[in-house]
Amino acid sequence: MRWLGIILITLMILAGGCYKQQDSRIHVREEVRSDSLESNIVTRPVVHAFSDIIGEGIEINDAVLTRNKGGFLELHVSGFNKSYRTKRFRYRVEWLDENGLVVGTKTSVWLPMSAMGKSPFSFKVVAPRTEAVNFRMDTRKWE
Amino acid sequence: MKRTIVYFITAVSLLAAGCAQETTNIDVMHDEGKAVMALDYRDFDRAASKLVQSLLASGALKKEGGGRYVVATGRIVNDTMQRIDTDQLMVKIETELLNSGQAVMTSAVGSGADKMIHETRELRDSEEFDPNTVAKRRTLIAPELSISGKIFQRNIRYDRNKQQVEYYFQLKLSDVKSGLRFWQEEEIVGKRGSNKSVAW
Repeated sequence: MRWLGIILITLMILAGGCYKQQDSRIHVREEVRSDSLESNIVTRPVVHAFSDIIGEGIEINDAVLTRNKGGFLELHVSGFNKSYRTKRFRYRVEWLDENGLVVGTKTSVWLPMSAMGKSPFSFKVVAPRTEAVNFRMDTRKWE
Repeated sequence: MKRTIVYFITAVSLLAAGCAQETTNIDVMHDEGKAVMALDYRDFDRAASKLVQSLLASGALKKEGGGRYVVATGRIVNDTMQRIDTDQLMVKIETELLNSGQAVMTSAVGSGADKMIHETRELRDSEEFDPNTVAKRRTLIAPELSISGKIFQRNIRYDRNKQQVEYYFQLKLSDVKSGLRFWQEEEIVGKRGSNKSVAW
């Protein structure tokens, strides 16, 4: 019985020692890349279940505002899905003018977004009016 | 006998009342209703929003030397199995283009034409109207750009019980004088559901 445990641990360590991320710009997904300690055939179900239990989800890392050549404000949002599952959600961006008032537009609607498990994601939203100087964004579950 | 009939009618009334479906207003701002196989207003909102954002981000409406482009709405083909008024898409897009400050839509020609513009010009020879109040010749402004497009649908059998319906919203912006296309975009709305659902 003890041997079985030793073999299992050895296998996990061997399986986990292979993957090393080379370039942060390139994301090689689980089950495509070589297995790692936290992700191999033995540990994967446990780690995934633990991720579900602690409720890992979407994290927004950056929101950058730029003005495009047409003079419209562009919001570039980037984030990371910490969960192992694909997270589908909706987002809505409202644009604010220099007085902090909402600029009424027909493009401020709930838009769908999807981020695969343990993957970075990004999206861009363009203000349809040049008077927009700021924004506020809301998210909700994809029903 | 009479009492029995009264009881019967009361019972039927109560049962019928229990079955009635309540009518509710849709919260169009935050609608959490289930998706439907056919195109609904949320799909048009989404397609219009994405298409407008793409057009404004492209810079195709930025006129060299300033000013606004005169844009006509060309033909928007509905090639779906549904009876769609393409204005459901185009009015949102036209509104945003107008509000963007970079384009003026024309009602003189195109699918958004206003018949009254031409009808009032026929009043030039009428003695009933003050000629100074009737539009003069050569006062209409010709469009510089034309926006046209197509909405089409593909139905695919997904498996024994499910079907997949794909809706394609395609728009293009062309220069009327040169015929050159400045911008084009496609937005896809896909739905997967029961074979029993009808997507038209």
